[in-house]
Amino acid sequence: MKFKAILTDHGVNLLEKRFVPALDKIGRVCQLYLTRDHAIFLHNLLSGNGVQSIAQFRKETLFDDYRISSQNDDRIAFTVDLGLLHRALRSSLSIEGGERLQIKLVKKLPAGSTQPMPFLTFETKGYKSAVIQDVPISKPLSRSDVMELQSALDMAQDIPQTLVQVPDLLQLQNLVDRLKQVGDLLTVSISQYGDLHLQVSTSLITVGSDFRKLRVLGVQANAPPGDQDMSARARTEMAIQRGEAQTVQVSVKHFAKSLQCHLAKPDCAFYGIAPQGACLTVIFQFFIPGTRQTDKSISLHCRLPVLDTGSD
Amino acid sequence: MSSSALQNDAPDLVCQLDNVQGIVDALSSVRWKRHQDAVIELSEHGFVLIVEETGCLQAKVYLKRELFLLYEYGAAEGRPRFGLSLGLFVDCLNAFSTPGHASVIEIRYPGPDMQLLLKSVDSPIACIYAEIRTRIPDTISWDYNFEPTGNIPVSFTVKSAVLKEAIDDLEWPGSSIQITLQPEPPSVTFRGEGHGDLQIDFSYYANTDLLIAYQCDRRVSYRYKYKFLRATTSNIPSSVLKDNRGSKFTVGQGGMLKIQHLVSVIRSSGQHPHNDAGGYQQPSRIAYIEFFVKPEEDDDPVNDS
Repeated sequence: MKFKAILTDHGVNLLEKRFVPALDKIGRVCQLYLTRDHAIFLHNLLSGNGVQSIAQFRKETLFDDYRISSQNDDRIAFTVDLGLLHRALRSSLSIEGGERLQIKLVKKLPAGSTQPMPFLTFETKGYKSAVIQDVPISKPLSRSDVMELQSALDMAQDIPQTLVQVPDLLQLQNLVDRLKQVGDLLTVSISQYGDLHLQVSTSLITVGSDFRKLRVLGVQANAPPGDQDMSARARTEMAIQRGEAQTVQVSVKHFAKSLQCHLAKPDCAFYGIAPQGACLTVIFQFFIPGTRQTDKSISLHCRLPVLDTGSD
Repeated sequence: MSSSALQNDAPDLVCQLDNVQGIVDALSSVRWKRHQDAVIELSEHGFVLIVEETGCLQAKVYLKRELFLLYEYGAAEGRPRFGLSLGLFVDCLNAFSTPGHASVIEIRYPGPDMQLLLKSVDSPIACIYAEIRTRIPDTISWDYNFEPTGNIPVSFTVKSAVLKEAIDDLEWPGSSIQITLQPEPPSVTFRGEGHGDLQIDFSYYANTDLLIAYQCDRRVSYRYKYKFLRATTSNIPSSVLKDNRGSKFTVGQGGMLKIQHLVSVIRSSGQHPHNDAGGYQQPSRIAYIEFFVKPEEDDDPVNDS
């Protein structure tokens, strides 16, 4: 099992400034899954609890001279602490004249131990000095665990039929942070007309937010006439009856976490409900810098577990 | 054009405001614990929010109709009153306030199920709304009719920041605090005895900036529970301290203490204007806060009669 690559400047920036801080908000510990063509950061894919997040990079986006080999079809997966990874990336940037940041999978004997442990080693060579940082990682996943991870990943690729674009992630995050004070359970409804309706309700209070005329991707429909005069709840109910909307309940905390992905500086974000209300999916889109074209070499999406189908 | 088709009659109140943060500040200043019940009383002049604790402490926030962009009072008779959770009301209003963006909120009472309804009305395609359940209010347990003593009410006005600092300092002795006012030399004394003694004197002549006004024609002295005094300043909004405002103390019949604060309710998008002397501002942009604190029952009051 071998892995060695050079992290490009762009790759370091992408991880250090954007993705690692964003993913850290989802969970401190994640799985890094490396294949022949991709490096993928995964949260909660096997546990089934909490927010699942999948951040996938084509190898060229992050690395030069990417070399990987394993007996398991050249796939390697392990668990890493994002806080430590972030620190290693940050300090590698501070090396004066550092040009090549090599990242390598190694086994070393830590001080005071008799058992060799696996590490991800970051090596920067500057003019006068070289810095080597070892980030401890878990033992690489077994062949069967990697298989399981791959099939969970395949399953998590389904895209909801209807996606609506969130107007302003920061503003939404602000709202959701305040909704957290009110209750724990968030009802999310999405219609094919471009409506996104969020509501927190307890026995004493109901607070909601209703966005309309959002951009829709996938299956869309025209709102029935007279719809604009109705309350948000009545409109949602009618749309559900017509089979043109879906509603799910998720944890407000999970929803807030998914919004933290704005730290990765996506260019847009879409919410959608998976078929049969299996989960709430949020897909972040990144443009090729300076264009409005989707950068297909980077993808990030989260899946929020549904706590209740929302139907009584 | 009414958005609610369920109501046949005009609601008791429909009002709109564009200064959420100021209203939140004013209401938060009487929120001394997390779960606190409040009563709102509506009238054609504005509405009053009243909170009370164990018959010893009462606070009122007066929000006059001039603070609102629109104020339509439709109650046919009497002054409608309803109870609600102050904490929920404040948290809920907070959900409407976006930093750097002055949103307009409409408040309506009653909803189809006697709820208090709130919604943002500034955008047709993005709306925040809330429904707060109300309850039938309890009858007020004691009469807070505040009656001044004698011809000249015994009172003083002190910088709110100084008052807060003094009361915070008195936490250390704790338990009960004796407040004494005397005409000669004109001064106010806060004295706490508990785990130790602490005495704070505000002398009228010592520092002209400290006591802005002082009226006292005879010595009065009463004891108040520390936790009630603390409640009167613990959540005083930072804008009050920044604006260098004063708080007015008046000692009424039987030692009943009235403490009044003024809170700016300016638009959330603007900055708090800085005022030098006394913090004069348009009276229409001020919320009045009043606290009434009952004295502890003393065996031998030391008051001149």
